[in-house]
Amino acid sequence: MEYLAHILVMVCLYGILATSFNLLIGFGGIFALAHATFYASGAYAAGILGTKLGIGFPLTLLAGVVVTAGLGLLVAFPAMRVGSHYLVVITLALQAITIDVLMNSKPLTGGPDGIAGIPPVSLFGTALTSPVTFLPLAAVMAALCCAVAWRLGASPFGRSLRAMRENEAAAQAVGKNLVRMKLVVFAMSAGLASVAGTLIAHYIAFVNPESFTIEETILILAMVILGGMGNLWGSLAGAAILVLLPEGLKFVHVPGDIADMVRQVIYGVVLIVILRLRPEGLFPETVFRTPTGAARSSVPANGPLSSAVERAGGTPGEVVVSATSLSKHFGGIQAVKDLTIDLKRGEIVGLIGPNGAGKTTAFNLLSGFLRPTGGTILYRGRDVTTLKPHEVVAAGLARSFQDLKLFTKLTVVENILVSLPAQPGDRPLDVYVRPGLVRRADRENVARALEIASFVGLLAKADETAANLSYAEEKLLVIARLLATGADVLLLDEPLSGLDTVTVERICGVIRDLARANKAVCIIEHNLEVIRGVCDEIVFIDEGRVLTKGPPDTLMRDRELAERYFG
Amino acid sequence: MDLLIQLTLNGLFNGAHFALLAMGFALIFGTTGVVHFAYGPVYAVGAYAIWALAALVGLPFWLAVLLGIAFTAALGVGCYLFIYRPFEISGSPPFVVLVASLGLFIVMKNLIGIVFGTGVKTVDSVAYDVHFVGNAFFTTVQLGQVAAALLVGCGIALFLRASRYGKAIRAMADNREMATVIGIDTTRLSILVFALGSAVSAVAGALVLLRDGLNPNMGFGAVFVAFVAVIVGGVGSLRGAVIAAFLLAFVQSLGMWQIPTEWQNTIVFVVLFGFLLARPSGIVRRA
Amino acid sequence: MSKRTLFAALVLSSALTSGAALAADPAVYKIGGIFAMTGASPHYGKVMSAGAQLAVDEINAQGGIDGVKLQLVIEDHKSGSAQAAVAGMNRLIDVEGVKAVLPSFSTVTLATMPIGDQKKVMMINGGGVSAQTVGTSPYMFNIRSMASDLAAGIAHRAAEQGAKKLAQIAIKSEFGDATIAATTKAWEGMGLKMVAAEQFQADAANIDTQVAKLRASQPDAIANWPTTPQAGLAVKRMRELGMKQPVYCMEWTAEDTKVAGKHAEGVEVVTDYFAATDENPWSKRFADAYKAKFGEMPDFYAANYYEGVYVIAELIRRAKAKGGDYYSGERLVQALWENPTFDSVYGKTLTFRKNGVAQKPVAVFRLENGEQTFVKFTSGD
Repeated sequence: MEYLAHILVMVCLYGILATSFNLLIGFGGIFALAHATFYASGAYAAGILGTKLGIGFPLTLLAGVVVTAGLGLLVAFPAMRVGSHYLVVITLALQAITIDVLMNSKPLTGGPDGIAGIPPVSLFGTALTSPVTFLPLAAVMAALCCAVAWRLGASPFGRSLRAMRENEAAAQAVGKNLVRMKLVVFAMSAGLASVAGTLIAHYIAFVNPESFTIEETILILAMVILGGMGNLWGSLAGAAILVLLPEGLKFVHVPGDIADMVRQVIYGVVLIVILRLRPEGLFPETVFRTPTGAARSSVPANGPLSSAVERAGGTPGEVVVSATSLSKHFGGIQAVKDLTIDLKRGEIVGLIGPNGAGKTTAFNLLSGFLRPTGGTILYRGRDVTTLKPHEVVAAGLARSFQDLKLFTKLTVVENILVSLPAQPGDRPLDVYVRPGLVRRADRENVARALEIASFVGLLAKADETAANLSYAEEKLLVIARLLATGADVLLLDEPLSGLDTVTVERICGVIRDLARANKAVCIIEHNLEVIRGVCDEIVFIDEGRVLTKGPPDTLMRDRELAERYFG
Repeated sequence: MDLLIQLTLNGLFNGAHFALLAMGFALIFGTTGVVHFAYGPVYAVGAYAIWALAALVGLPFWLAVLLGIAFTAALGVGCYLFIYRPFEISGSPPFVVLVASLGLFIVMKNLIGIVFGTGVKTVDSVAYDVHFVGNAFFTTVQLGQVAAALLVGCGIALFLRASRYGKAIRAMADNREMATVIGIDTTRLSILVFALGSAVSAVAGALVLLRDGLNPNMGFGAVFVAFVAVIVGGVGSLRGAVIAAFLLAFVQSLGMWQIPTEWQNTIVFVVLFGFLLARPSGIVRRA
Repeated sequence: MSKRTLFAALVLSSALTSGAALAADPAVYKIGGIFAMTGASPHYGKVMSAGAQLAVDEINAQGGIDGVKLQLVIEDHKSGSAQAAVAGMNRLIDVEGVKAVLPSFSTVTLATMPIGDQKKVMMINGGGVSAQTVGTSPYMFNIRSMASDLAAGIAHRAAEQGAKKLAQIAIKSEFGDATIAATTKAWEGMGLKMVAAEQFQADAANIDTQVAKLRASQPDAIANWPTTPQAGLAVKRMRELGMKQPVYCMEWTAEDTKVAGKHAEGVEVVTDYFAATDENPWSKRFADAYKAKFGEMPDFYAANYYEGVYVIAELIRRAKAKGGDYYSGERLVQALWENPTFDSVYGKTLTFRKNGVAQKPVAVFRLENGEQTFVKFTSGD
């Protein structure tokens, strides 16, 4: 009984560790392999406070969470500078440093001896010293931590995290502040992990550095991967399996002193076999997808423009964006020089020019993805030259990408939802403090996203993942996502390339509709027929600067231009 | 001053050992993208095989090494064909393959303990000398490590540059999809790099057998060092991996000149940390 | 009386009668062992379990304890994982029903001790040397000399051989830390100079840097504190680097001799006196049986755990002789204090001191032709 209770306590603790780790790697896509550091931080906080200052349980938990969340923020900074494999190595390095520090800071951490005699948790006058008495506490804490993680994962913020995981540039382009998101998810993940640390310290009354090595992080990682990334239930299942499996194997009788090695071999084989049978992990991500449910049936197919796009204010023809003398060079290469361009309400500008002329660089400058080396960008008189991409979107200027950058593992409606501005559910604090507000707002947002989907003709595909769309549908989704940002200046990078004529016509119609809704639109396009049919003005750029500009008909009669561009 | 010379020499010799490990890992990881965690125990099994052939069967050491290298290459290929390739075919995400590799790591490490026992294995049939530079010492085995790193390094570089297969490997490391498009048989190349990479690790294993002896747990440190060197060096760059291996070894050695040695890991990793932050794409950047 | 309460009463009464029946012998006396069976240093698990198993087999071959056999149940702590050890300890007590456990490694002992204390299960440590395990629980006993005792012995031995400057090398572990602290205290207490104390991580790829710094400190003698097999490796490195100073160790096993090869020659080991000699027939018998069964000579770890099983068997025998519900940790401990002296495989007897530590004679051995040869008993105390 005691033994069984102990195993269940360990399942609870690893459940906390795996779910919190999943927030970071499964949702945020941040492979920071230093989770045992956060686990250790909570455990040592409890050990040091408990033995040196005589501070007891709920306070040690609080202190552990605060300190560890802070530690998480610290780790987040290098994590934001480097990606993928480098992040893995940097965090592994951090893990090794942690062990060294714990080993070598003898007066505080007890060094290799660890800290013994940590006071147990006392609740209602009883000390929880046995596994059976500790189990209820562990279970409650695990449930709490999972609820906290679940709430975040299932919230609009969790959706944004998954979008960030799929494509960071696109997440920025729909107005997400990645720095803030990463800081939040690091702090949350670390803070939750520390809860498991505090509990184990009080539970076994002893902490030592060896309990928090790289192997421990790898074990937790295996739990997450086995359970399925991006699915918090999966993490619980993964934790349960990897705790129970070795214990179960202890009942397999093997003679001699090799028994435990034989059991580990079986353990390794079982791990591989499970992964072979379920290559994506035991539980796929699906449960966290946003349900469209009843809202979907109330939205008519091919809805009108008015329901999808709000008419922008101001008078038609007014200059909204005014970029003056923009220049950008990379090393010795001058990608853009002296580019001056105005975008006006209700007008569609076509940006044309040969490959490598600097068209996409111009978009990158306007949308904040690149900072110009010279020149200024004014948005309704406000200088936005040095704003970050998500700030530019918030101001009212959004862009699409030539290579689409869809959030492939998110559904169509989620792709659109993520792009809607000013969602209360994107504020982690509100997710917990004002759940009613968040729920209401998200219900409205789902309805709105469906209307946008309907407008571009993707309603029938609303619950498909973006990965399952045809190319034409992908392009439509790009437009939908751009619309959802609510920006009144829209930059579209080759929205029509590679499409059949029917879809081209359809998207052209959408673009015209946007202009009618008083938006300022700028498109990069090669198809001159389209340009002529859609644009009010053409800006021809080559070698990074504006060669000429004017109405399409005039410009296309220009002989020099014809030679240079149309051959 | 004597200490400084000695520490520099130590850095050089350990750097050579790390470089061998890193080259083998870089070939496999850089080309196939498989985070071959079981590279560690494969290297260990290879070294144990050499030990068994030399100490149990009684073969001359050089013959044991040759056979051991062949065996290790076959073992590496086996890992690819029977573990990683099925995952590749089913299109599993890379981190699933990593955890599978971890399972393989646990299996192989414990199999070593079961088959060979947990004690340390040494070979005493090979005699070697001690040399000195001024007041600093080193052994013939350490010299052998440097020579092996040099030979293997040049050999691989030549192979990658000059041979048809080598060029194909480079193309695959550059862009796997493109390589498939232009008709390169990536499966065959994967088999080849697993064989080559594992064989290189066996060379390192043979020398460590002479130097320190073997234990079942030796694989973890090896694959850790190799992985770190490959990342710091810049994924896909053999040269970068070698430079990073020496960098690690020198920091580990010279960094301790004035600092208490129990902080060795911290110093190494703080340097690494700072280095990657300052230069997030590794020593040798890819175009 | 409802059916439900009737049922409860039945269960209760049957539990009471079975409780009374506990006074009878169990089917088998299970003894727990928490060893490093896997992980970074499985060698310890191998020799400790081998020693304990040999004792169990010997006792069973002679009919067990009044016909009831012993059984050794091993739990793996994966070379120092506190969590694995705690799981193992709970399993031993709860599932296997052991009343006595043989833990190993100081940290593991520290982590499992509170459970033993709470569940009143006797624990006899024969591996860890950290003083932290001493005097914290009435159920905790040590049959290995503590680091402080051995360190004093070594300090005296080195000084007696003329060393003035001592340098130490150790793993960054509880063993290493405890030993460095104890030796520094003993050495400087004699007014002598400590010139270096280098440490390395247990999983370090190599220790060349540490050895180079050791050499540069120009000591007269070296205190070599790493455990198996790094003790042997350190000696090999030192000798290869031309260091000819006397080397003193606290722990040296057959593994270390293998690793160090010819360089092991002349290394001195100051440790619990264990020597299989003719004057000590039990030790000879033990060594022969061990060699026959496992194919190698036992080291003192094997001896400690072999002896641990014999101590526990003796305690069960004594407790049983007193009658009643004798098979419990409390009764075993009680039986120990009634007469804390036991036959020892180390020769003659061992006696538990008030703090639960069995004092053993500490001796100097020198490695000659690959064998540990007895030199003399130390004057450490």
